[in-house]
Amino acid sequence: MRARVALLAYLAAIVLATTVHEIGLLALGLVLVLALAGREWLRILRRACLAILLFNLVVTLSYAAIAGVQGRFSLDYVVLVNLRVLLLTCMTFLFVSRVNPFEALAFSRSLTYLFTLAYGQSMAFKQVLDDFRLAFKSRRIEKVGLRDRYRHSARVGAHFFDKSLHRATEITQVMRSRGFFDD
Amino acid sequence: MHIPDGFIAPQMYLPAYGVAAGLWAYGARRLRAALREETIPRLAVLTAFSFVVMMVMVPLPGGTSAHASGIALLAIVFGVWTAFVSVSLVLLLQALLFGAGGVTALALNALAMGLVGSVAARYAYLLLRRIHQGFGLVAAGWLSINASALLLALALGVQPAIAHGEDGQPLFFPFGLSVTLPAVMIPHALVGIGEGALTLLMFRLLSQRGWVAAR
Repeated sequence: MRARVALLAYLAAIVLATTVHEIGLLALGLVLVLALAGREWLRILRRACLAILLFNLVVTLSYAAIAGVQGRFSLDYVVLVNLRVLLLTCMTFLFVSRVNPFEALAFSRSLTYLFTLAYGQSMAFKQVLDDFRLAFKSRRIEKVGLRDRYRHSARVGAHFFDKSLHRATEITQVMRSRGFFDD
Repeated sequence: MHIPDGFIAPQMYLPAYGVAAGLWAYGARRLRAALREETIPRLAVLTAFSFVVMMVMVPLPGGTSAHASGIALLAIVFGVWTAFVSVSLVLLLQALLFGAGGVTALALNALAMGLVGSVAARYAYLLLRRIHQGFGLVAAGWLSINASALLLALALGVQPAIAHGEDGQPLFFPFGLSVTLPAVMIPHALVGIGEGALTLLMFRLLSQRGWVAAR
């Protein structure tokens, strides 16, 4: 219940943050979010800055160059958009660090199972993909050509396809044997 | 290819959620009718497949690479609705569990990548495979990337027109269509070739293993 309320509050705060165009209010919102983060405020702020750095830097620098040439550069806009993106990202990281998303989605049993299974499988697949990458890296002496890189990527994709269909059958059987579909 | 949080005005992302919600409900109903008790496990595993394929590299000339999307392959093999729902779930996982991609842009990203990308890929393949299957697969891969990119470029490019202050300054994304269209479409035209080649190679491997009919 608490997680669901937190999810609704988070979504409402996200919408609110995108309807406010006052730099002062957005800055106040950021201070509030960081205060709510408690001891984690610096970790969340650092993580959010890193997450938005690349895209925001490209947009800001391009805006400065184009708007500067056209003579309509506005520092207020630069501060507003970067502050808003930072606030939204900090809110998301605070939500993720405080609330269990699986609990937040517990209003639907099917959705919870789907989300849990998808997350578990995704993490397992990611680990195997990392292993493949390391194996590919460790077994090459010379620079690998374009054709071989394509072959490698295609084989990796096909491997996960194989694995996915086998896993789907396996999980269905496991769920059936435990009476999941009997209700 | 995702649009991150904070660059799309609520005038656009709220209606996008309305449209996507209806399509998610319809897609889920279609899948449940087709798969019955296998819906949850299959969808979960295909979401994981979609998640991991988005991390597989599309090699580009010069030793560089970009991330694959795998949307064309999903749409060709499993259909538009499976691809749409799986890709949407991946975006939800990324937004809620990893804080990546963004919640405000989720519906728009899902519509562009999951729906428009899938529809473009599947129908291009169905149409062009009559001429040449390999060409159909490459075209499907290219279109899945470029149709999605086009929608996202349009969505970003109209932001200054739909959300600006009294002084005319933008409130969200600052560039109009004259900037977003070339900036987004030119790199994606190149990445799309790689995605097309990868779609063809993966499809061939799956045909050899008997998962899909080679025609």
